[in-house]
Amino acid sequence: MRFLTRFVVAATGLSAATLPGVWAAVSQPSKPALSSTYADPAQPDISGLWVVTGAMYFAPDRAVPKLLGEYQTLYAKRTAAFKAGVAVDDTTAECLPAGIPHLLIVPYPFEIVQTPGRVTLLYEYDSAVRRVALGVTPPEHPDADTATYNGDSYGHWEAGTLVIETVNIRADTQLDFSGVPHSDALRVTERLRRKDASTLEDQITLTDPKAYAEPFTVTRVYRLRPKWKISEYVCEENNRNKPDAQGHTRSGVSAGPSE
Amino acid sequence: MQKLVTAILGVLLAVPALAHHSFAMYDSSRQVTIEGVVKEVQWTNPHVWIEVMVPNAAGGNDQWSIECTSVNFMTRRGFSKHTIKPGDKISITLSPLKDGAHGGAFKSVNSLNGAPLALEPQD
Repeated sequence: MRFLTRFVVAATGLSAATLPGVWAAVSQPSKPALSSTYADPAQPDISGLWVVTGAMYFAPDRAVPKLLGEYQTLYAKRTAAFKAGVAVDDTTAECLPAGIPHLLIVPYPFEIVQTPGRVTLLYEYDSAVRRVALGVTPPEHPDADTATYNGDSYGHWEAGTLVIETVNIRADTQLDFSGVPHSDALRVTERLRRKDASTLEDQITLTDPKAYAEPFTVTRVYRLRPKWKISEYVCEENNRNKPDAQGHTRSGVSAGPSE
Repeated sequence: MQKLVTAILGVLLAVPALAHHSFAMYDSSRQVTIEGVVKEVQWTNPHVWIEVMVPNAAGGNDQWSIECTSVNFMTRRGFSKHTIKPGDKISITLSPLKDGAHGGAFKSVNSLNGAPLALEPQD
């Protein structure tokens, strides 16, 4: 419906100022599109190949959400194991997907493709794909029964910022490789905007009433890499770091004997 | 000058480390340099592995397993499948395993067959 409204606005030249709510944003002057690939000025061109900058921790300054009860206990257990050289519950060591929101900070490039009614994010890592429907209202409450690694993503534009809400995310992934947990009640809200020709900024807010005392927001910056190309990445090819039966990941040394 | 450039590149390219699983097993606060002869290179995902035979105090060799980043990452750093080959004499800096086993997370190549390694990273 939102898309239809936008289409009508665009097609008829109706002033969006006469429309209620979010649509007021459409009439505001926004940055011109940087290429002609997607010419609607209300939906700036964010297409291209991007890669995250900064640390591999979810928050660049290593801040962690205020964890509640069992999630605090779980994180403390993982942190102690990490210090001792063992990763606990690390699904990526089994070549299972990092999932959202971890996927947002892995240091691999991803490509954004914009087509009418949809933004598609094609990730090198895990060869993951996110299909973001535009103008479809996300469900009010996450549904644990239909949860997946990358969840379901819904997007809309607000004055040149692409807002993506992702829900229905599995509880068994971690925010990053340091093991910060979340629950299946997690809602990830991204606010993506192109700061300049080569910079994309994502303000990421994690809302998780089961696991976090309050919403947790970080801002990550992605740099355009026009000369790069996305390559195949098949984790199952030669995974020497499979966890043991207890879910503990240690080194993948060949343990070859001394000669 | 070449050495200096290579050394600077080595430092710049030392991050990020692994990007497939947790790096809990490695002591990222320490760096160790080993020298030996390459036994095998596994140019594979999720990680490239280099097996190196390193002379030990007993007059023999220990096999060290060095875990690199992915094929994708190593390629962007300028490595190819053939940059390092079995039989090559190599000096590698790594972050050692916390448990003391013969292995580490790859940081940089200091020299290959006695010469600095000139790589052209993708920009």
